[in-house]
Amino acid sequence: MKVIVCYKIVPEEANIEINQDGSLSFANAEWKLSQYDLNAVEAAMQLVEAVGGSVTALTVGDQKIENSKLKKSILARGPEDLYLVKDERLKRADTHLTAAVLAAAVAYIGFDLVLCGEGSSDFYAQQVGIQLGELLQVPVINAVSKITPAGDRLIIERTLEDEIETLELSLPAVLAVTADINVTRLPGMKEILAAGKKPVTEWDLHKIGIRHAGPRVEEVSTLAPEQVARKKILVEGDSEPKIAEFLDYIRKELK
Amino acid sequence: MRRLKNIWVFADKASSLAELCAGGRQLGENVAAVVLGGEETARQAIEQGADQVYWLGLKAEDKMLEDYTRTIAGLLEKHRPELFLLNAGRRTKVVAGRLAALFATSAITDAMQFVIGENGDLQIARLVYGGLAIRLEKPLSAMAIATVGNGVFKAAADGSNRQGTVTEVPWVEDGCRLKLLERRARDTEPVDLAAAARVVGVGRGIGKEEGLAMVYALARQLKAEVACTRPLAEGEKWMSPERYIGVSGTMIKPDMYLALGISGQIQHMTGVNKARVIIAVNKDINAPIFEQSDYGLVGDLYKIIPALLKSRL
Ligand SMILES: Cc1cc2nc3c(=O)[nH]c(=O)nc-3n(C[C@H](O)[C@H](O)[C@H](O)COP(=O)(O)OP(=O)(O)OC[C@H]3O[C@@H](n4cnc5c(N)ncnc54)[C@H](O)[C@@H]3O)c2cc1C
Repeated sequence: MKVIVCYKIVPEEANIEINQDGSLSFANAEWKLSQYDLNAVEAAMQLVEAVGGSVTALTVGDQKIENSKLKKSILARGPEDLYLVKDERLKRADTHLTAAVLAAAVAYIGFDLVLCGEGSSDFYAQQVGIQLGELLQVPVINAVSKITPAGDRLIIERTLEDEIETLELSLPAVLAVTADINVTRLPGMKEILAAGKKPVTEWDLHKIGIRHAGPRVEEVSTLAPEQVARKKILVEGDSEPKIAEFLDYIRKELK
Repeated sequence: MRRLKNIWVFADKASSLAELCAGGRQLGENVAAVVLGGEETARQAIEQGADQVYWLGLKAEDKMLEDYTRTIAGLLEKHRPELFLLNAGRRTKVVAGRLAALFATSAITDAMQFVIGENGDLQIARLVYGGLAIRLEKPLSAMAIATVGNGVFKAAADGSNRQGTVTEVPWVEDGCRLKLLERRARDTEPVDLAAAARVVGVGRGIGKEEGLAMVYALARQLKAEVACTRPLAEGEKWMSPERYIGVSGTMIKPDMYLALGISGQIQHMTGVNKARVIIAVNKDINAPIFEQSDYGLVGDLYKIIPALLKSRL
């Protein structure tokens, strides 16, 4: 089975700073692999370990996706090769543009199954996988919490708000997996070293036949909401007198 | 506020349909509801605010809600509303995404506010970066598609005198369908965290499942509900998903939130940062939660919780 797993490069939320005017500063933000995409990678690896085949990683974005640490980091998790579609116009890509670029790229690479994460850590729209599947006109579904290969088909379990569904689908297909479909493995030194030797192919939009790369949604503003001011009274230590001091505060507050 | 001309709505829950019909009325001159359900539900949509109902009938046993996407697309293609609203759920996000692809547009998910500017421009707000910021987005396509969070709109009080039309719509073959083999109810836990005055939240710092017993005891003593962080509900599965708090879980506004062994990452804190008082216990003095709390105690839960229990707090 030829599996492509899509991942996104996102800023580390903890390092995003809020400016005086409420706007955000990414100056000190490290870029990382979006957390829930790692579950998609792990699901792809488990599938291929079970039935044979290959796992290819794919991401689209601006120059940030070229960071060599990030390339190694994704490849160390198991995929045998990596494709990047890099174009500055993808810096502010919306879900439609992202899905359209991925659709063109996976069609070039060739696949039986595309796996996506539940949603990206930055925008968490939970849309790209679904739109991708529909653009490719193949079966597509989200909330996949279990994948069982069955010949040329897959049996999947879907965890919804109040029910669990078992579905059968034919390949090729696109699935978005849940964040708890598996526990991701941490790559060891050996995997990280090997990752540096795996093939990486870089394309631009032109190469995959995309001329128009306009978004369908425009960002008007991104502002941090006003926060409730907190007292930030800190008691250090868990000795009896310290706990008693802490209790005094709480008793007064909860009266 | 100016209004849009034509708004369409669709929901997979009765309560959401009522909210979206009312929201449609607020934002638009004409509201059409696509209804999948009994005839009664179709009529109710008119009372709730719809001018036209496109009635897909009762959902067939062998179909999923998602299998109606092409049928809905056909209607939208014909009537071309400016805005199509769905409730925010896992199934409706599939419908929204597939429709977005079919109409070559984006869908804006988990919308929390809609603004129509002086010039009639629609802008939609949603949370980004785990709740760190609110992003206002302007759809550029002729039809905007958005999924709307619970409670963004209030259902109308009484519309029993409203008039409207009901049109039956036949199902259209959906193309690449998935075959439904089995469906079973999930064991959900009825818990209304949003209504609780006091909430004790527990995080990965508890370390082991047995540690929860003392947390439950403390919550009982405080007459509080118990909640948790997402990894405790999802990774560990020590608590039901209904109990996890945060941007992708339940958002609460209690009088008091006591956070035990929670690091205080933005995705979690977004769900509690409107609490009146936040109290935190964490063994790491540098844990971000202390920056977002009124009172903090630096220390080990396994010493502190038993002490709090003994103190009859
Ligand atoms: C797209 C996305 C959406 C998300 N949505 C949510 C959401 O809605 N809700 C949510 O909760 N999370 C969400 N998360 C996850 C979130 O980013 C954090 O990973 C999570 O909130 C951390 O949970 P935690 O505080 O329990 O664990 P940790 O971050 O591991 O923190 C555990 C804390 O316990 C402390 N500790 C350890 N042992 C002890 C002890 N013996 N005594 C006292 N303290 C101790 C540690 O110092 C540490 O600070 C989301 C993530 C993503 C990517």
